Amino acid sequence: MVTQAPERPVATAVPPPSRRRRALPALWPYLLVIPTVAGTAYLLFYPLIRSVIISFQHFRTGELIRGGAAFVGLDNYYDALGSAEFWAVVRRTLVWTAINVVLIMVISTLIALMVARLGKKLRLAVLAGLVLTWATPVLAATTIFQWLFQSKLGVVNWLLTSIGFAQFDGYTWFADGTSTFAIMVLLVVWQSVPFAALTLYAGLTTIPGELFEAAKIDGATQKQVFRDVTFPMLRPLFGLITSLEIIWVFKCFAQIWAISQGGPDGATTTLPVYAFQVAQSLHKYDLGSAISTLTVLILLAVLIPHLRRMYKHEGEGR
Amino acid sequence: MRRIPLTLAALSVIAFSVFPVYWMVVTAFKPTRDIQADTPQFLPLHPTLEHFETAINSDGFGLFWRNSLLVSLGAVLLSLVVALLAAFAVARMRWRGRKAFILMVFIAQMAPWEALLIPMFIIARDTGMLDKLSMLTLIYFMGTLPFTIVTLRGFLAAIPEELEEAAQMDGASRAAAFRKVVFPLLAPGLMSTSLFGFITAWNEFAFANALIIKNQDDRTLPVWLSSFSNVFGTDWGATMAAATLFMLPVLLIFLILQRRVTSGIIAGAVKG
Amino acid sequence: MAPRFLAAAAVLALAAGLTACGSSSTESTAPEAPAATALTVWIMRDSMSETLLTNFERDFEAAHQGVTLDVQIQEWDGIGQKVTSALASNDAPDVIEVGNTQVAEYAASGGVKDLTDKVTELQGADWLPGLADPGKIDNKQFGVPWYAANRVVIYNKDLFGKAGVTPPTTRDEWIDVTTKLNADGTQGIYLPGQNWYTLAGFIWDEGGDLALNEGGTWKGGLDTPQALAGIDFYKKLQALGEGPKDSDEANPPQADVFAKGDVAQLISAPGGAVAIEKANPDLAGKLGFFPIPGKTADTPGAVFTGGSDLIVPEASKNPDLAYEVVKALAGEKFQTAMATEMSYVPNRVSLGGVLTSEGAAAMAKGAANGHATPNSANWAAVEAKNVIKEFMTTYLTGTDGAAEAAKASQVIADILNTKS
Repeated sequence: MVTQAPERPVATAVPPPSRRRRALPALWPYLLVIPTVAGTAYLLFYPLIRSVIISFQHFRTGELIRGGAAFVGLDNYYDALGSAEFWAVVRRTLVWTAINVVLIMVISTLIALMVARLGKKLRLAVLAGLVLTWATPVLAATTIFQWLFQSKLGVVNWLLTSIGFAQFDGYTWFADGTSTFAIMVLLVVWQSVPFAALTLYAGLTTIPGELFEAAKIDGATQKQVFRDVTFPMLRPLFGLITSLEIIWVFKCFAQIWAISQGGPDGATTTLPVYAFQVAQSLHKYDLGSAISTLTVLILLAVLIPHLRRMYKHEGEGR
Repeated sequence: MRRIPLTLAALSVIAFSVFPVYWMVVTAFKPTRDIQADTPQFLPLHPTLEHFETAINSDGFGLFWRNSLLVSLGAVLLSLVVALLAAFAVARMRWRGRKAFILMVFIAQMAPWEALLIPMFIIARDTGMLDKLSMLTLIYFMGTLPFTIVTLRGFLAAIPEELEEAAQMDGASRAAAFRKVVFPLLAPGLMSTSLFGFITAWNEFAFANALIIKNQDDRTLPVWLSSFSNVFGTDWGATMAAATLFMLPVLLIFLILQRRVTSGIIAGAVKG
Repeated sequence: MAPRFLAAAAVLALAAGLTACGSSSTESTAPEAPAATALTVWIMRDSMSETLLTNFERDFEAAHQGVTLDVQIQEWDGIGQKVTSALASNDAPDVIEVGNTQVAEYAASGGVKDLTDKVTELQGADWLPGLADPGKIDNKQFGVPWYAANRVVIYNKDLFGKAGVTPPTTRDEWIDVTTKLNADGTQGIYLPGQNWYTLAGFIWDEGGDLALNEGGTWKGGLDTPQALAGIDFYKKLQALGEGPKDSDEANPPQADVFAKGDVAQLISAPGGAVAIEKANPDLAGKLGFFPIPGKTADTPGAVFTGGSDLIVPEASKNPDLAYEVVKALAGEKFQTAMATEMSYVPNRVSLGGVLTSEGAAAMAKGAANGHATPNSANWAAVEAKNVIKEFMTTYLTGTDGAAEAAKASQVIADILNTKS
């Protein structure tokens, strides 16, 4: 589901100016969006509202089975906000998002710039490799990474041992919080870079070559070219990709759950994992719902600048 | 000479992106003895199909494969049709509420799906939709819809409206103009969109695990894959074969459509 | 009267006919007139061997005309969520096997049928308390005891012979013997790092516990000196083999590891021997059993009394037939067959005499020092969150064990003190 975020192409932003509008029956657009609106209302907003209602109730296993949950006001929210664990998870989630998004953006930019300079054959090979990675289903990817980092037979330990790091002989990657976190980052970056890199490369190809030539004639270094020509031209694209990556990495659940279930010792418990644990493992559906609601609010807060820009942009009356 | 670092960088990018998948496939074809060898073998020196046999012969494999295919294809087709209508309305028409609609679709992408597990369970139970593949299909449809709309709208916007208008001037109806002129141009977009919608649905585990309870014949592949490690544990060969089989449809589509998908993604991403 | 009687009979016949057409939604509750009803039974992996299962299905279907049994094997991984969903659904499986550490939580949820009125018929006075008590809340019996088992040491007689050692009776001897065995490509013992039931036994041996109830408030027990002594012993033993420190006995299945033939000892329920011999028939007859050694030769090591109860969900569509299944599974005939085949302890004390095999004898000796997990409806949550397992891995691989123990104890206390 949308749990496996970081692998989809995208295109939001601005519609093209539509020059000459023919008069259409005014009802048509509404008829066309009815299925979407109806589907979203019933399959997304309705359950979402039910979830918010649960967050104001005492809703545990008994209530799930028998019904008749009592309202308890903001108790679950006090519970969540009052626990040190929650804030530790929030901090971890922000760190997790920041590390991943920065790595994804930097690596993708470098790859995009590199691809633009390659010969045709090598370029195609790199693009094909990226698309293959992108197309790898999350569950397959998590299984592969567990195998790569397996302590006894894993190829990573073999590689590290054979280039001289003897301490990695039989090293148990998934027993240690930091190393599990690092593997999760590696996995998410591995899966997310292709989308960002391909999109950025596509953006690069739209910049008129004359601009680069002009800059070169002026004696600009490569760094200056990037700063003064490439980046400004691609600024909207950077904005869009960054905010999408933030959503996807922040919400990332399936990868973490499949590999570490948030462990060891909570080292990979981010907000979505935490909410799931509380609801499904501890059967505190009420508290889990409250945490999920808070998660969405935090994500919205992070993205408000982008949403406002988007809304304004759409509004420019073309 | 100056190209050498560049070539090396390109090769290492290729190696990093392809190696994990390659390693999965190679392991699946190696006999257990070779998998457990102290020095990993990077080529399958004694290729065998035994692990694939283990995986395929495990309980209900064909059934789960069929279920997953049905659910994923159903969800993708449904969301393609619904999204195409909405994308057309957004990209080609002006109407009150359009802005709010776009915002709604964007926000729908942020939906915390795992949190909807319990409400969705209750809704399914109260409407008699528990243990039904159709419920899964509907949920996956919703899971892929917002993203499909956003992407298709980008592709649609990239197709000059003049083409349609020219066709209409030649006497075609608006629908015919759309079918004859726009649709063929939209094909790569439809393909890459549906590929990624398909992957999303194909992958889903949490809902499939929670909403199919008693009717075990209606389980899907991800649920099977997750129980596989319980049954086969150390058998990494069988596990990798299972993962390979799981990835197979995606791999096939990828190999067939590779060029078009790549260019489609690029076109869609930029022109949006 | 006659016409009305006829009409009623016609309706019944019609209903029976409809049911026969395959609609499972028809309520057919009368066991004396069951018509093509499919019953779903959830059994945990490795609870029953295939022979046992086939025989049971055949016998039950023969004794109950028109009933088909659909026995579905469930995995322990994520079973809590699965059973909860089933109890909350409208059409649940008719009988579910649940672990004795988890039955209390389900019984308290209101989704399980109260079987108090059947206790006498099932000879409940004779039940093993370790299984009957967790299934009982406010004097109502929700869970019906099924089988119990505790862990013993399974050993490879050939390897013991080659090393010239005999089964130990005290911990110190155990370490000596295992050290001798752990040479020349043989693993002295295969003990994965997260076998927490075994750890619990070592902690009980030292006089400690996993958690302590002090006047209604729970305190985690892993950071007590007794518990630390217990895990130190675990660490010493664990190092005498190649058991992975970051996984439990199910991943990889330890029976498969042992079946390779280069492992001298394994800690498992005696039933594990069935799986070993299935994986490697060459080992048949070469497996020996002894109780887990205690601190002195006269007391065997403390063990966790594990086992399962059977429950009938409120949402079962065929509660009466479901009870028939429970009755058959909990009855003397099946219990005897199961005890013989799987080396489990039967659910009734008086049936204990059927345990004659070597494995069962070792188990019975150990059972004398049997213990249970802390008695709280929240204990299942401690298990679900893998608190103890993760603590074990960090303790075995890390450096500051005492701090880790204090942290894990706090987590356990927090979970157990949650009001549900």
